[in-house]
Amino acid sequence: MNRALSKTIFLTTSLVFVFLFLAPLGIVIKGGFWVNGEFTFRYLIGVFQNPIYSEGLLNSLMLAVGTTTLVTIIAIPLAWLTNKYEFPGKKWISGLILVPMILPPFVGAIGFQQILGPYGGLNALLGLGPVDWLGKLQYWGVITLQALALYPIMYLNASAALANIDPAMEEAAANLGCKGFAKFRRITLPLMMPGLFAGGTIVFIWSFTELGTPLIMNYTKCAAVQVFDALKEIGTNPFPYALVFVMLASSAILYSIGKFVFGNKSYAMQSKAATVSTSSAVGGWRGILVLLPFVLVILVAVTPHLGVIATSLAKPGSWYQSVLPAQLTLNNYAEALGNEITISSIRNSLVYSTLAVAFNAIMGISIAFVVVRSDIRGRGLLDGLSMLPLAVPGLVMAFGYLAISATVSNMDWVKNSSFWQTLLDVRTNPTLFLVIAYSVRRLPYMVRSAVAGLQQTSVTLEEAAANLGAGFLTTLRRITVPLITANLIAGGLLAFAFSMLEVSDGLMLAQRSDFYPITKTIYELFQLIGLGQYIASALGVWAMAFLGVTIISASLILGKKLGAIFRA
Amino acid sequence: MAVAVRLDSVTKRFGDLTVVSRISVTIEPGELFFLLGPSGCGKTTLLRCIAGFYIPEEGSIHIGDRDVTRLSPDARDTGMVFQSYALWPHMTVAQNVAFGLELRKVPKAEMDQRVAEALVMVKMTERAQYKPNQLSGGQQQRVALARALVVRPQCLLLDEPLSNLDAKLRLDMRTEIRRICKQAGLTAIYVTHDQKEALSIADRMAILDKGIIQQCGSPEEVYRRPNSKFVANFIGEANFVEGKILSVEGDRAVIETAIGRITSTALPTELVRAGEQVAVSLRPEVIHVAEEPPTDANVFNGQIHGTHLSRRSCAASDQPRYKRRRHHGAKGV
Repeated sequence: MNRALSKTIFLTTSLVFVFLFLAPLGIVIKGGFWVNGEFTFRYLIGVFQNPIYSEGLLNSLMLAVGTTTLVTIIAIPLAWLTNKYEFPGKKWISGLILVPMILPPFVGAIGFQQILGPYGGLNALLGLGPVDWLGKLQYWGVITLQALALYPIMYLNASAALANIDPAMEEAAANLGCKGFAKFRRITLPLMMPGLFAGGTIVFIWSFTELGTPLIMNYTKCAAVQVFDALKEIGTNPFPYALVFVMLASSAILYSIGKFVFGNKSYAMQSKAATVSTSSAVGGWRGILVLLPFVLVILVAVTPHLGVIATSLAKPGSWYQSVLPAQLTLNNYAEALGNEITISSIRNSLVYSTLAVAFNAIMGISIAFVVVRSDIRGRGLLDGLSMLPLAVPGLVMAFGYLAISATVSNMDWVKNSSFWQTLLDVRTNPTLFLVIAYSVRRLPYMVRSAVAGLQQTSVTLEEAAANLGAGFLTTLRRITVPLITANLIAGGLLAFAFSMLEVSDGLMLAQRSDFYPITKTIYELFQLIGLGQYIASALGVWAMAFLGVTIISASLILGKKLGAIFRA
Repeated sequence: MAVAVRLDSVTKRFGDLTVVSRISVTIEPGELFFLLGPSGCGKTTLLRCIAGFYIPEEGSIHIGDRDVTRLSPDARDTGMVFQSYALWPHMTVAQNVAFGLELRKVPKAEMDQRVAEALVMVKMTERAQYKPNQLSGGQQQRVALARALVVRPQCLLLDEPLSNLDAKLRLDMRTEIRRICKQAGLTAIYVTHDQKEALSIADRMAILDKGIIQQCGSPEEVYRRPNSKFVANFIGEANFVEGKILSVEGDRAVIETAIGRITSTALPTELVRAGEQVAVSLRPEVIHVAEEPPTDANVFNGQIHGTHLSRRSCAASDQPRYKRRRHHGAKGV
């Protein structure tokens, strides 16, 4: 590629990315340390001294530890079984096992409460009185819900790590007399560690800062919810900044440890595996035995969402002290679609997500091109930087964007111009900031897909076009983009799907009901007394169906490569 | 219309590593010129400099009258056949071949005709609507050739075009490539590490090693009169005998070796002086077993180990005489 051109692309993408990504982080740090023109650690220390904040942080940490542990316990055996055995229905199961990923846990929480509430399905099934399971076991409720939504990330990482292990490694161990669990512990597990840690980091950071699930489950004593509650004071109180900074720093430290310890590399296998596969076919009752854990996990994982579907179909008030709703109705769907804020929220989410994906596609292709096809110094740094949004909690980013908006909208040139107000003040119109927030957080998916596509596409295919007289743009349009279309579509669909069910950004940045995205609408509807949860569930089902179709298309297009996208 | 390709002191470095070092050579119009050398010698790098994928740090490259040294690849009007063929998998054979013509805004009717002609030339007409991955290696190679030729480039660049084919196909294709080049009257630069390919179809060839042209000449010249031990060893089979030059007279040199005194007319006599140590390369086909001691030069004794000769020749204990009719000197040890 032309050097001057690649330099231009490199500089432009770097600048845009650094500005959009680092500006919100910068303002968070500034807000927590520079108060009234002087630098101080008072608020940072204050966060740890304040019993409410420190309890919140500790609880968040416990949520993250609990969720990550649960996820690991669920995911590793499944990944190992997938790698080890060919069993009946494997093809279907390996697709279905990913389904929970597309079900936003905070929507599932609504169904979860219907089932586990004092007058819910479980108590009715067991014939118990009004036992308030979730009141007693709130913590367990939150981590279970999160784990059931996040285990696919770990599963994908673990499977990829296992598939990458040369079967000869295990064969050599077996040859020397090591077998069974010892072989797994001594050989397989250590070789999997980089992959496990990569997946674990994402899950940990995600659950450490998850806002939607604790909010719906009413688990308010955690840092994420405390930040959310403090948003009203964003212009005046440095404490939320300091609290957000602590979350940011913890995530960054964890991410760095992962990078340093494992160097983000799986152990390079010295040779291409001579044996193609070690998986052995099992049929009959043994096949069913292998299949069983998968079925169980999937069933448990979709239970909250089955609860949501049941709720959405229940006549309001009819799911009371019964296993399932007593009376069914489609009224909630009609109600949901008849509600003005629902309709506009669907439209809003589509607009925000589409714009975000379009922006990401351009950024993703550009970054990938520089990273894979140029020899510019610093391209590796750009590659690394573009992965960082995975390590930064969405809550932190959203808080940062909100703080930027709050700062600039206080300036006179914004106040006095309706144009700038519409663009920059989230209280007037959050579109710009929401689109930026959506796209920056999803950029890694797009970059990874585009990079993977380019790496699989031999550069000589582009050289052959140049040789025949095609310029840079012609080559890009006629050769490169058509060849990596599958990757771009897959990355784009994922970015789109995750934008559609984004929680933190939507809850924090969208402040006027006519600009609510779907997720915020679900949350607001849920708050309504009486009909709320039913309409919210109906909207949730709509969103799940929509996302299901999107993700299934992505996995069909990308096939096995889907896993690569979630490796930090 | 064929043009000359002129390289003048072309140097290409990657970081501290000089891969191509001050290479100057002119490829004549219509010539089939080979860049030959072991892997890592810089031959592909040099070809990619000519194609424009690398810009040399020093020197200049002219195609015809145009200085193309800093031109981007798409402006050079070369046709390249890649080692991996680089056929675009999302296009059919016909679309692949037509691509270059589309960019040149050739009218549709003419384009169709030229594509058809090109496919006839490489005998791929029946596969025009196939996708590349439905073709065998040899077929892909021919499509790649058609794609490069159809635009009637000023010069054809071939980067190890046959290295991915099986031995039998390689033999067929190399004569095929020469036929097509000569038929189109193209200036062609052919990179390979296979000396048999070069010896059998090249007009001229340059032997590269460590980024430097070791020798440049016709296959006959390079084979008969290698100018270094490296070239003698790289081209064809060679037996080396160490020796010392006794005298040099005109193009004749007499060399004292362990197997006897050898008179050579193949030694680059302008480069050697009496008293120098040299290695003499003996091509296997010039060694003849004689019944009677011949009277002319270069006779030496040898021992035949029976298993290495045909039964007809002699018994293992015989001590027949060897005669060298022709031999090739090589400077240096």
